[in-house]
Amino acid sequence: MCLSVPAEVTKILADDLAIVSIDGISKEISIALIDDLAVGDYVLVHVGYALARIDPAEAKRTLQLLHELGSVGHELRS
Amino acid sequence: MSLAVRNQIDVTVSLAGDAIAAVEILPRVRPPLGRLFAGQPAASLLNVLPRIFSLCAAAHQVAFLSAIEAARGETISLATRQHRIVMVVAERLAELLRGLFVGHCALDTTSAAAIRALMEGVSALLSSAEPSCGQVRREVTARVAIALAALGITNEDGAPALGNPLALSVAALEEDALNPTPMQQSFLSVADDRDVIERLVDDAGFCRCPHLEGRVPETGAWARQMMRDQLTLGRSGPAERLKARIAEIVRLHAWLGPGAHVETAEDGIIESYRLGPGRGAAAVECARGRLYHAVELDRQGQMSRFQFLAPTEWNFHARGPLVRGLQGAVLAAKPQAQGAVRAMVGSFDPCVGFTLNFREIGDA
Repeated sequence: MCLSVPAEVTKILADDLAIVSIDGISKEISIALIDDLAVGDYVLVHVGYALARIDPAEAKRTLQLLHELGSVGHELRS
Repeated sequence: MSLAVRNQIDVTVSLAGDAIAAVEILPRVRPPLGRLFAGQPAASLLNVLPRIFSLCAAAHQVAFLSAIEAARGETISLATRQHRIVMVVAERLAELLRGLFVGHCALDTTSAAAIRALMEGVSALLSSAEPSCGQVRREVTARVAIALAALGITNEDGAPALGNPLALSVAALEEDALNPTPMQQSFLSVADDRDVIERLVDDAGFCRCPHLEGRVPETGAWARQMMRDQLTLGRSGPAERLKARIAEIVRLHAWLGPGAHVETAEDGIIESYRLGPGRGAAAVECARGRLYHAVELDRQGQMSRFQFLAPTEWNFHARGPLVRGLQGAVLAAKPQAQGAVRAMVGSFDPCVGFTLNFREIGDA
């Protein structure tokens, strides 16, 4: 039961790192597992790693679903 | 709109001198899917699962579909069964390999590129109409081979090449400051399915705190290996679990390549159970262990009840295998002790997010 959370890439850093915004909160993550990410792309984040690129509409739907489930909060703090 | 629900496990280890006196686990809060799914057409929910469970989306979808089919009394063709097994195996391979990378080789750019390519290949396979056939399966098989080579696993027995990061991890874990003694182990298997499902359906609290007549078995790659080898007594340290994951990757890769035949697939990888009219359940063996879904449909085919039980609830149970493996252990080398305990927690599940806290309670 591992949930991942949609996030928007806001800054690409060196060493396969990036800053993402998860529902308005910034977080540094690894983007080593995704090719050619750019600012504005959306990804699914799990335990500090971007796992997959998703389109903005899918990100919005997923975030809405997670809000319904009330499961976003802890990922933001992890 | 609540953002307050926890998606991470908190582990608190109480030390009395050099010994672990107690282990407390504060579990994650389970997403209330039963409430969300109630009253929805069953078919509309299939695409919701990958948004929630993106790490093991195929396993959840296969468990869901299989439970629905059982509830409806439907049977599937051999080809469909083969496609689903290939999906579950490919996803398990990708998850196990990703876990090796994240846990042990995260700074290696060659490994990162190989895991990226594998994840893309598995994603293409999972969206394919016929995942067990032809080019898409061969492509994933080839990408697994490249990932294995990048991680330094080139021997058929799964032993990493000497000196590479994975081999160094295995060696470090084998010399761990935490030294669990061999003990009688208990594993969750297909033979437990009926008991698990019966309790899952009858007891609303079971999915949060499962047990079988007090038994809380382990599930996952090491449990599968021990059951294959028909062993119940063993040392259950992080090195054993890491080696079991590597061995399983090699074994699944060998199965996927030559044709991925149903008759040579692992026992119990996908099982479904008809519980009565409109009621069904299924179990799927995914990367981190055995996953259960149970459904109840009304006469219009809408979901009236949905329950699921994830492998993590067994492994991180308050009386489960992690707690049993840690409790009473003597930390041989204090400076490395916290790292050893962290490795033990992480060895149960390469994907789980957790916090680890220590407290001294003096001599108990």
